[in-house]
Formats: sequence, structure tokens, C-alpha cells
Amino acid sequence: MTTTVFGEGLERVAVRAITPDIFWITHCLGDAAAAIYANYFSMLPNAADYTGHRVVDYPFSAFLIRDEKTLMIDTGAPRQQANTLKAVEHVLGDQPLDYIWISHIELPHAGNAPALKRRYPMAEYVAAAGGEQYALHGLEGARLTAAGEVFTLGKHALEVVAPLFVDHGLSQWAFERTSGMLFTADWAHNLHEPARGECFMFLDEMTAGGYTAALHADDIAVNAWYQFPWLKWTDPDEVCAAIDALFDRYQPRILAPSHGNVIRGDVMGYLPLIKAGMRKAIAM
Amino acid sequence: MIRHIVDDVYQIAEYLPARAGVEAVLVYVLLNDGLPILIDCGAQVHRVGIMRELTELLDARAPEVVILTHSELPHAGNLSHIAREWPGVRVIVSNVMLPYIEITPQVPLANISTAHAGALLTPAGRPLQFVFALLKDQPGSQWIFDPRTGVLFCGDGFGYATTAADVQLFGDELPGGVSVAQFRGHHQTAFHYLRWVIPERFNADMDALFARHDVRVLAPIHGNAIRADIPGHVARLQQAVAEIRAAGVHA
Repeated sequence: MTTTVFGEGLERVAVRAITPDIFWITHCLGDAAAAIYANYFSMLPNAADYTGHRVVDYPFSAFLIRDEKTLMIDTGAPRQQANTLKAVEHVLGDQPLDYIWISHIELPHAGNAPALKRRYPMAEYVAAAGGEQYALHGLEGARLTAAGEVFTLGKHALEVVAPLFVDHGLSQWAFERTSGMLFTADWAHNLHEPARGECFMFLDEMTAGGYTAALHADDIAVNAWYQFPWLKWTDPDEVCAAIDALFDRYQPRILAPSHGNVIRGDVMGYLPLIKAGMRKAIAM
Repeated sequence: MIRHIVDDVYQIAEYLPARAGVEAVLVYVLLNDGLPILIDCGAQVHRVGIMRELTELLDARAPEVVILTHSELPHAGNLSHIAREWPGVRVIVSNVMLPYIEITPQVPLANISTAHAGALLTPAGRPLQFVFALLKDQPGSQWIFDPRTGVLFCGDGFGYATTAADVQLFGDELPGGVSVAQFRGHHQTAFHYLRWVIPERFNADMDALFARHDVRVLAPIHGNAIRADIPGHVARLQQAVAEIRAAGVHA
């Protein structure tokens, strides 16, 4: 399946197959990114290392698994609602959506849940255990899950993963056992450059076009610094040990963060780079 | 429920049952000499009550500015309604936030501006200090300090649940004030990452913030305002942070 793009600018949404039955539904700004992210590097504490260095873009993604049952990981934001619904319908055709699985309740992750529920009334909200006020977040009646719970969809099975690095308290990650796809929400994501045609690319395609490991480690660091400002109070050895344990446990073959380009091969090979990025973020 | 806190600052509170007791969802209002400022605007599930009390408190004046501590729905869920009711209202968010995707599309982007931590701005003529939020549950979380009243609007920080019997009390009116256990209960859920945080480092930054600002009132969104014994409450929050860490990274 090629990349199909619905809409343009602030509203555009693309859909692309990662595997024959797992789809990346993502928004990024493309040509409009330069205005929004003009200060992305200049706001850093070590801005001199980055300023003027790249004009970047930042995706907001959902992932749709199509099997005997269907499950959507996150929903995108209301500004892209119409095109997100088109993308979901494009993938599912006449098939219903069974689960609306929410990593956490920020608008770019959960903001289209009510619209999806209206379109697919039988779909069940799924959210992290521990929350008792999901109605406040527009997810009334959500089924609450704990780490280790498995959603069997047919030949795919989605396991709820205890997240390591979060902003919102009620968060969950996921591992799809058949494909080996690890979904890490706000963690471990790169940046891309629209001017280099990198929108909607998989990371290996960016690498073939010149995206380097050094840039990738920098991006992991910069994004982690923004996303998890609390990292400055942590022990880098403890953080890296937890990353090692996570990768050792799941041996992911696909890495699917919410805000980066999907890595669809040799994920274990990226482990040193990801840890180096996290150490750099902690030191910022 | 409307309560006067200090000077021209009021809280509008809605309450929800919670395992730990009752959880508050607040909107703060600075009357500001006829140019009202709102700090957050409450959850959409409380729209009717909040709009009724806002109308009563503002006495037919339109709010000039809504300042969001962050954009989650308990804080920004009524923003689209407020923007429809008062189309001229301006919104201020952290400069780390991306308004085009994190704020409801019903608010025109032209009406949204950003503030960076450390900035002293004068929205609606009121000098307000924008503060790096030490407890963020979104990258775009921000705290706001009002030098005129000494109120620190601290978002989800310093939140606590209370009992149904005490629900109308300010934090300082609770026997002994807000306890370590109350702070721990809220913060270990709201800021799950605190299990990673080395308390000495975090608490040093907390001490530095309170040394910089003469905070006389703590104004959390999920707990009534705390108007007295600020050093005692800060110390109890710091103890709660230490206890969350002691429970372990994998707690």
C-alpha cells in the first residue's frame, strides 16, 4: 500500500501500511512546519549545538490493526478529525472498529475518541488502569487495563506494556506479538525534514536518504528533553538499565512511537543510539 | 461553588467522588479591576455549573484572558464554549505547547499567544510571572505567579483529594493542613514519573522556586486553595515526593 494523504496543511492525515495489517495513520505539517517549529532548537538549553541546523517537523500518529477484530492505538487530534476518519474508513472499509485503545488522554492522542465512537458506536474505549475520572477526559465507560493484559484480535495479539517514560500519569504502551511492534507513545522518536521529502517515510528510508545515527541520537535527546522535563532529576544508569530490560523482554522488531518515523527493522540495533540520546537528554 | 481566596482572586470549584475521597476541579478567577482573567476553565462535564457561576462572579463582564496551566480537558474542556460565549477572549499557553493541535480548533489561532517560563507579562494589564512548572503532566504545563496577591497557580501540582465532609474547606482549614498522605496520593498518580526522580535534586529546585517568589497562596486545580503555612505545605509535598521515590521505580 502506498501512502495515501487526506487533506492538506494543518488538517492533513496520511495512512501507510507498516505490515499488511498494521497501518500508520499520521499527521505532520510538511511545508507548514517551518513556521510552527522555527524555534524548536533555539529553545534548548544547549541551543548553540543546534540553532539553524535543520528545519524539522513532528508527526502525531495513530496505529490501526486490522484483523478479525480491529484496534486503533490512539486517535489523533480534533483539528485532523475529518481526515482521520477518512483514513480509518480507507483502511477498514466495511469492517467495524472494535477497540479505541488510548495511550494517554492528551488531545493529540485521544481527542478524536468521541468522533470515532460516534462513527463506530460498538467500539470500546480502552484506557490505563488507575484512572477513575475518564469521563472528565471524554472517555466515559472506558475499559481499564493493566500491564500484561492481552487483546487477541485474530492472528494479532496486543499486550499492554507498563510505560517507562511518561508525561501524563495515566499512560500505557503496547506490544503487538505477531509483528513485534512496540508502541512507545511519546518516547524514542526522531524528527524529520519536509524539505528532504521525509514526511511519512519509514526510518530506513530516511537513512537511505542521508539521515544519520548522530542526527537520530540528537533527536532522541532533544525530544526527550521537551517531552520529559523531569529527566534532569533522574539517574542515567537507572534509566538505561530500564531501557535494556524493556528491549530484552520484548525484543521488538518494529518501533512505533507517536511522534517519530516508524522503525520497521533492526530495532535492537538502535538500542545503543536510543540510550545515548537519553543520557544526553538527562545531561541537558 | 464560588469562594473568595484573597484580594480579587476567587475559586470556582466542582467536585467528583474519588477512591481517596473527593477530587476537585477548579477554575480560578482574577477580577482584575473589571478585566477578568481566568486560570484554566474546567471540564466540559461541569459546563453548566461553571458557566452559571462565572456569569454570577463576572457580573456581565466578559473575561479578557484565559491562561491555561495546560491543555487537558479538566483544564481546558470548556474553552470552546467560552470562546463561543465571549468570542474576543484571548488564550495564553506555554510556548512549549502547540496550539494548533493541542487546543480545541474552536478557538481561533490568532487569539492564542504563548508565554515562556521566566517571562513577566501583563495580560489585561495585570503583571503575571510565568514560571517553569516543576510538576508537569504535559510538556506544555506552566505555573503562573501573581505578585500582587502572592498566589501561585500551580496546575496539577500541590493537588490533593479530601473527604466529603471537608470538601468546602481551603487546604489550610483542614486540621493540620494538607497532609503528606494526601499529597502522595495525588502526586503518585498524576505524576507517575516521580518514581524516577531523585528527591534531593527535585526538592532543591522546589526550594529555589519558593526562594525566588514570595508565595502566600498555593492554588492547585485539583484541590482547594492553600492560603497559609506555605513552607509547611511545601515540606510535606517534598516528603511525599521522597516517599513516592522510596516505593521504587517499578512501583
